Amino acid sequence: MSRAIWLLFLGSLVAAAQDARALVEEAQKRGVSKSQRYEGVLEVADSGGKVTAKRWVSERLGAWGSSKTILRFTAPAEVKGVALLVLNHPDRSSDQWMWTPAIGRDRRIAMQDRSTRFFGTDFSFEDLEERDVDQSDFKLAGEDAVDGAACWKIEVRPKATRSSQYNRGFIWIRKDNYAAAQVESYVKDRLARRLNYRRIEKVQNVWTARLLEMEDLRRKSKTVMKLEKLEYDIPLKEDDFTVAALRRER
Amino acid sequence: MKCARAKPGLLSSYLIDIAGVSKQFQGKRTVTALDSVTLRIERGDMVSIVGPSGSGKSTLLNLIGGLDRPSSGEIRIDGQAIAALSDDDLTRLRRDKIGFIFQFFNLLPSLNCIENVSLPLHLKGWPRKKVRERARQLLEMVQLGHRVDHLPDELSGGERQRVAIARALVFDAPILLADEPTGNLDSATGAEILGLIHDLHRNLGATIVIVTHDADVARSCIRTIALRDAKVVSDERRL
Amino acid sequence: MILLRLISWPYARKHLLRSILTTAGIVLGVALFVGMHTANRSVLGAFNRTVDRIAGSTELQVSAGESGFDEEILERVQAQPEVRIAVPVIEAPVETGLKGQGNLLILAVDMTGDRGLRNYDFEGDDVIDDPLVFLAQPDSLIVSREFADRNGLRLQSKLSMSTMNGPRRFTIRGLMKTGGLASAFGGNLAIMDIYAAQQVFGRGRKFDRIDLAVKEGVTVEQCRAALEKLLGPGFEVGPPGSRGSQFESIVKVFSISSAMSSAFALFIGLFIIYNSFSIAVTERRKEIGILRALGATRGRIRNLFLSEGAAAGIFGSLAGLAAGVLIAKGLSRYVSGLLVDIYSVGERSDEITIDPGLLAWAFAIGVATSVLASFLPARSAARVDPVQALQKGRLQVLSAGENRIRRWLAVTLVAICAACLTLGGSRPVFYVGFFSVIVASLLFTPSLSLWMARALRPALQWMRPIEGALAADSLIQAPRRTSATVTALMMSLAMVIAFNGLAVASYDSIVEWLDSTFNPDLFVNTNRTLGARSFHFPAVIGEQLSAIDGIQTVQGVRTLRVTFRGTPILLVSADLRGIARHTVNPRAVAGDYREMHRLAGEGKGAVVAENLAMLHKLGLGSEVEIASPGGVLRLPVVGVLRDFSDQLGTIFIDTSVYLKYWNDDTVDIFRVYLKKSASAEIVKGRIQERFAGERRLFVLMNTEIKDYVIRLTDQWFAMTHVQTAVAVLVAILGIVNTLTVSIGDRRREIGVLRAVGALNAQVRHTIWMEALAVAFIGLVLGMLLGAVNLYYQLDIVQRDISGLVVAYRFPFMASLWLVPVMLASAFLAALWPGEAAVRSSLVEALEYE
Repeated sequence: MSRAIWLLFLGSLVAAAQDARALVEEAQKRGVSKSQRYEGVLEVADSGGKVTAKRWVSERLGAWGSSKTILRFTAPAEVKGVALLVLNHPDRSSDQWMWTPAIGRDRRIAMQDRSTRFFGTDFSFEDLEERDVDQSDFKLAGEDAVDGAACWKIEVRPKATRSSQYNRGFIWIRKDNYAAAQVESYVKDRLARRLNYRRIEKVQNVWTARLLEMEDLRRKSKTVMKLEKLEYDIPLKEDDFTVAALRRER
Repeated sequence: MKCARAKPGLLSSYLIDIAGVSKQFQGKRTVTALDSVTLRIERGDMVSIVGPSGSGKSTLLNLIGGLDRPSSGEIRIDGQAIAALSDDDLTRLRRDKIGFIFQFFNLLPSLNCIENVSLPLHLKGWPRKKVRERARQLLEMVQLGHRVDHLPDELSGGERQRVAIARALVFDAPILLADEPTGNLDSATGAEILGLIHDLHRNLGATIVIVTHDADVARSCIRTIALRDAKVVSDERRL
Repeated sequence: MILLRLISWPYARKHLLRSILTTAGIVLGVALFVGMHTANRSVLGAFNRTVDRIAGSTELQVSAGESGFDEEILERVQAQPEVRIAVPVIEAPVETGLKGQGNLLILAVDMTGDRGLRNYDFEGDDVIDDPLVFLAQPDSLIVSREFADRNGLRLQSKLSMSTMNGPRRFTIRGLMKTGGLASAFGGNLAIMDIYAAQQVFGRGRKFDRIDLAVKEGVTVEQCRAALEKLLGPGFEVGPPGSRGSQFESIVKVFSISSAMSSAFALFIGLFIIYNSFSIAVTERRKEIGILRALGATRGRIRNLFLSEGAAAGIFGSLAGLAAGVLIAKGLSRYVSGLLVDIYSVGERSDEITIDPGLLAWAFAIGVATSVLASFLPARSAARVDPVQALQKGRLQVLSAGENRIRRWLAVTLVAICAACLTLGGSRPVFYVGFFSVIVASLLFTPSLSLWMARALRPALQWMRPIEGALAADSLIQAPRRTSATVTALMMSLAMVIAFNGLAVASYDSIVEWLDSTFNPDLFVNTNRTLGARSFHFPAVIGEQLSAIDGIQTVQGVRTLRVTFRGTPILLVSADLRGIARHTVNPRAVAGDYREMHRLAGEGKGAVVAENLAMLHKLGLGSEVEIASPGGVLRLPVVGVLRDFSDQLGTIFIDTSVYLKYWNDDTVDIFRVYLKKSASAEIVKGRIQERFAGERRLFVLMNTEIKDYVIRLTDQWFAMTHVQTAVAVLVAILGIVNTLTVSIGDRRREIGVLRAVGALNAQVRHTIWMEALAVAFIGLVLGMLLGAVNLYYQLDIVQRDISGLVVAYRFPFMASLWLVPVMLASAFLAALWPGEAAVRSSLVEALEYE
């Protein structure tokens, strides 16, 4: 998922100014891998400071924009076995299915309102989509430093043809390795979410953030996601990324 | 007879004994209709009560007849104090000892002559056959034997009053009370009815009290009591 | 106005009790009208509020009747370009383990997408404690804060609810703030995951409904048209509000009966007022004479009495409005209870919807009735001759000649009625006949009651020579005083008898129907009663039942409400050939019994209930058309049966047809026939044992089912008791009124009676006998008119209300019961006037005028 998110923010930010768009495309290109696997830990802190942790295993197969991802929750006990299948399409929104073992059936998640929060986290479903650069306009907005690293600051505006909860946003791309460092998203010109990419490390030649921190400034809450046991380009089968496979509990 | 409480000396001599009787009517304004009236009427007497309108003569008659109760004072009928009687006992006393003759006859319009006369007998629970015999006998006595089945509306005023008198006599009541018995009749008929009342006095020995405006009627009685402003102002006896 | 204050008010105050009694009819009528209608509207209002609150920003809803539809429809709807967002819904009222809480309405939705339509105003900042847990655990529930507080529940509390598999414990994983959605269904609302609900309620892979919002730039109508085209006629696509209309047609049944009751009470009120006013005119003729002598015109006098009527109407109506609003709450509970029992469309209506328009109407009707009732007396008053009125002791006869005209008119009307009966047939002719006979009876009543009083006189005289004769004479001499009360009594008893007759006849027919078709030894049901169905059995239960020792045959029946020609009727699908084999004394209204079941069993036709055929003029060969999720089902009518399953009509089709068109193999009730040797008790035990802890089911014995149906019938005819109560009230009111006037009129007579020696008891007896005589005459006339009325009522029910054909049977038992009830009421009514007669002053009574 980390790469999905990582890329998706690039994706959602594409450019009018040719050089800004080129920067984003370069960043996307550097992140390419055939497949990915990691164990995620998600901590959700609400405004009261109460923290809940969830664990899952994520596997992804396929190229940017048409990748397939399966997420299986492993903890806590109430959600153990719940699985999520996401099929991304370059030309339309993704298809998603969910498997809930207690009910013993899969369900299609009809993602019509993409501003809905992703299972109580501070991410919205839209924040998790893979988007093509052609769906947004980009403009270089200057240069800035994030966590001490020099970055390009690029303004992103979604094209009129694609609906979004955000009317604009900014992405910071590090000059040294083209990794995204921070994303800010605006709803009606008010800053709504800020995503920070931390612990950016090189894993199998891909610069990857091992810790994502999403802050919802309206709700004043924060979600921290850690990526453990991250691997790229491992052998995975297409057959394991179907609804039928989703039902096969592991 | 409940007479234990009566004073022994007065017991037999007076049929009607009124001692210090007053009657007030309570309303927005209290009206005194009788003011400490004391009066004794002997057995077999024939008394007329006269006085202007509002002098209290009708009230006095109503009290004697047990139709009303005094505000204060004591009334004894045949030695019996009415104050001590229940409604129903008073009614029984009235039924058995007192006959009423009214100015407007007070016959029940839906009942025929014999039924009207039978009324008290039925109320006392006499057997039907005996009732009919007695009623017929009385109607014959007032010379109405031929009008037994007629309704009051079909009779003349004098005839109606005869029916009323017959009704008053069914139990041979010792007391006959007449309230303006001729007041609603022409003079000839009035004289006829007065004659009938005198006959009853003579032949049956009934004690008769007549309230009247009519000086002739008053004069025909043995004793005349005059009332004015709720008080007895004269009590004359002629021989 | 000045006259009203100077002349009428002192009179009304002097006769305070009578004035109150006079307006009592109006009070009763207006109260019943307002009460019942307010109750109905409150229930309907609550239903609509719930629909509204649940709808959120839903612009259109897709449904396919009660059966629901397959999940895949959702994707087709979502794929439609006009649709912005479409979410599935299952709605079910469910029993909870909580005492006195009634049902909990479960709104099952797909939480991942539903918040686009509905605003779940969750407690605290967080939706649900953990949304993923909510979806992952099928026992998750979100309830309103109000409901939680009422029942002492908190997050993570357990709540027991009935499910497919018996009572199950659910966990509260979220709370909604009070207001908006959370206040729907009186706050008794719980949100559940739709896929969990499918499982818990045995819905298979089906949804009840899709709620959707249209895309920007598309009108609701365009979207609706597109969806209707996409889905075909088996689906209803409409705004959320349209759900109310079906509910409304159910509530309407109550409205009809309540309208009848209140019209009836008002009608009686009319007579009581007419009676009182006629009497008042007679009593006050001297006063009228003085007014006339002082220069009041006839018009002025008439207006005075009309104003009195209006004043009585205004006071009575106001009191009626107040009383109506007061009783509405209780009535609305009763109505919603009945709706849950019969139609399983539960609604909690804790608040009363007061409709100012309705109140205005009721007020207007009350006043109009009163003015109408005072019209004739006012006219009589205007005719009073001042010279005659002021003469002592002379009574101007005001109604001379009226009697003869009235009798002639009555005879003419009876002739018209007879003509209508022989002509028969069409609806207007029928109603003209009915109307004529009622009016004729009204016109005849004074003469009839006079004749009867004359006939009664010897009998009464024989009982008590004086008291009896005088009681009869009182009736004979003042027919005006008596006849209005007798009329009111007659009308109310006629109504009571007709209702009882309907009930008795319905009972008989229903029992016959039960005996002939409800003969399985056991019924296996998802519910304790035959009503309220939130759960269905999967078809496999049938096979499992068949395997139980002692069971010979199992027949699955699925019932659901469908819309037929705009009305919600009952569709029954079953193995018709199998049922036909077991029917005792098969009888068909039209068509051959075996043949119709054979044809319908082969899917070549439908059998319809007689009432449906009546109401929609169907006969053999007519085509019935029902929209289903699988397309429009068209079948010829191959038979008509007498069937009382539903007031609005029933259609029977074979299971195979149902399966094909509704793609639904669930079952609501299994009819179980046992082997000859098996005992019902033992097999019942075996069934319960077999499914214990696994499945929610109720095994009902044959007698239990019959008892249930009879009880339901009882509830429907509860109105009968209301009518009887009204009749008793009318009797008491009318008789008290009549007697109060009577003892006033007969003051002198009673005085004379007492002066010449009548004891108190004897005076009372004559008053009591008069009351009993009035009641007796009313009873006789009421029974006569009741017998006629019943004939017409049966026809009305058959033609215009439910189409149920029941045989004419005079309710002898009920009528016999009425005799002591009415006589006792009359006696009760006479007690007070009797005392008044005894207490009155003798001297005043005997005074000269």
